[in-house]
Amino acid sequence: MKLTKFDIYFGLLLAAASIVLPFLSPGEAMIQLLTLAAIWAIFAIGFDFVFGSLGMVSFGHATFLGVGGYAVALATQKYGLPFYGGAVLAIAVGAAFALLFSFFALRVSGIFFALVTLALSQLIFILADSKLGSFTGGSDGISGVERPNFLGIDFFDPVNYYWFVLGLYALVMLAVISLRSSPFGRVIAAIRDNETRADQLGFNVNRYKQITFVISGALSGLAGALLASLLMYMNPQMLHWTTSGDVIIMTLLGGSGTLWGATVGVLVFEFLKEWLSSWTEYWYGILGTVFILATIFFPRGIIGELEKGFATYQKNRRGGAR
Amino acid sequence: MLLFLLAAGLTLIFGMLGVINFAHGAIYMLGAYISYETGRRTGSFLMGALVATLFTALVGAVVEKLTLRPLYERPHFYQLILTFGLILVLSDLVRFFWGPGYQEVPIPQLWSGTVDMLGSTIPMYRLFVIGFGALISVGLYLVLEKSTFGMLVRAASSDAEMVRILGLPVGTIRMAVFAIGCGLSGLAGSIAAPLFPIELGMATNTIIDCFIVVILGGLGNIRGAIAASMLIGMVRAIGYVYMPGWVDIMTFVLLIGTLLTRPQGLFHRTARTA
Repeated sequence: MKLTKFDIYFGLLLAAASIVLPFLSPGEAMIQLLTLAAIWAIFAIGFDFVFGSLGMVSFGHATFLGVGGYAVALATQKYGLPFYGGAVLAIAVGAAFALLFSFFALRVSGIFFALVTLALSQLIFILADSKLGSFTGGSDGISGVERPNFLGIDFFDPVNYYWFVLGLYALVMLAVISLRSSPFGRVIAAIRDNETRADQLGFNVNRYKQITFVISGALSGLAGALLASLLMYMNPQMLHWTTSGDVIIMTLLGGSGTLWGATVGVLVFEFLKEWLSSWTEYWYGILGTVFILATIFFPRGIIGELEKGFATYQKNRRGGAR
Repeated sequence: MLLFLLAAGLTLIFGMLGVINFAHGAIYMLGAYISYETGRRTGSFLMGALVATLFTALVGAVVEKLTLRPLYERPHFYQLILTFGLILVLSDLVRFFWGPGYQEVPIPQLWSGTVDMLGSTIPMYRLFVIGFGALISVGLYLVLEKSTFGMLVRAASSDAEMVRILGLPVGTIRMAVFAIGCGLSGLAGSIAAPLFPIELGMATNTIIDCFIVVILGGLGNIRGAIAASMLIGMVRAIGYVYMPGWVDIMTFVLLIGTLLTRPQGLFHRTARTA
């Protein structure tokens, strides 16, 4: 993919907002919310790598997030590893589970892909929730997850942790941009647009899908580690299939397959949730309604619609100058 | 059999409309709550079941008309995702009216006894559920395969454009199918109400069970759904006796195995397309 003017402008705007906002409105709640959004954005970007770039709906991404969280929680709590060790482990475990899932799920396509990933991830949920309870802490979860330690900076301070997460988010974003504009990314886009043709051209479609899925799983694992560390708590709810549903909602709301869609979707979701839950406890239902309306009327998502508007605007301007 | 009642609606909707209805479990939950409420007010279980069925069918019709109709032409996953949004809405509506706690429905008086059969004691109500499920499955089969309406539905699912050209209201047929599917689910909810505590988790938990049955039976295959719900029921019953705690895992392993080896379902017959 090529970066458009729109992508660059919007990215700058987002970067400015993410740096200025903590100063404009300090307050612990705001910082917490922004950090949460940045972490979920990493997750959503990872998810959209399969959903938007490859065009496959996975209903199992909760697993990769969850095992990432468990990896860091268990590594730091039970085995005394430092946070970084845990985080690297989380990425590896996320990728490993994605690889495992891909062996099963990539044998089928379309709706069946969604259903197989859903079934697998629900199986993992049940395992973590009850069967392996002695290892994972069961439904009580694990509390006291570590935060990173770097050059003596105290990351238990919410603001410092926010900068840490934001930095990681920027790295992930850069990685995804370069991946998507690399030859690898072009092949993936080709598979999405016309799988048969990509296959005929001699690309090993399944191998490409598998690699994409694993990268996506690794990013989700990282997000899981950060999330567990932010909340300093880990429980099986993160593995439940409704988490997969949430990330789909966010991505679609923002605009899947676009550069900033996943991030914007997360921001809108989290801020709406924060705002709605301050005056009603039924925010989830209202959010669901918003989401349904958006699916019907704005299938391109927020960014998709904005891009379209921006393109029309540019065209008109050029037309006017002529 | 309860599982079949539930899965019947889901498989009907998929088979005839090509829509995977994630909100099926939520409709089931709604049915249970409605029957609880009606039962509490009128004191009649029958009344509760009736109202629950009609109401959920109505909800289904409205939902189809308002949300699904614009989506048939788009890729399948939009419908999948949209119905996920519906779960959130329905769950919160139920929570708004009935609160987050558990509710219970007494077993109707007529069926509250027990029967001795083959040396074990079986509650009458369970027998009723089995009989009722069998009745519904026969009825559904007859309607779909033998009646004019069933023919229309099948025609609309195999070639909507042609049916439309022939001057028949495809939109209305689809709406009716979705309404019937939801009504069946609501009915299942009201039947299940006396057996299990009614709670909000029903929406997200039962749908997974339904999927299992529907996938094992073959998506959209009613007869397959009957067989699959019995198979799952047996596997669970045996599992509970010999290896309690592993039942859920066994079901999932069965499911994943089926999806990988026979994604068209265990009871698929290629000669006939439903």
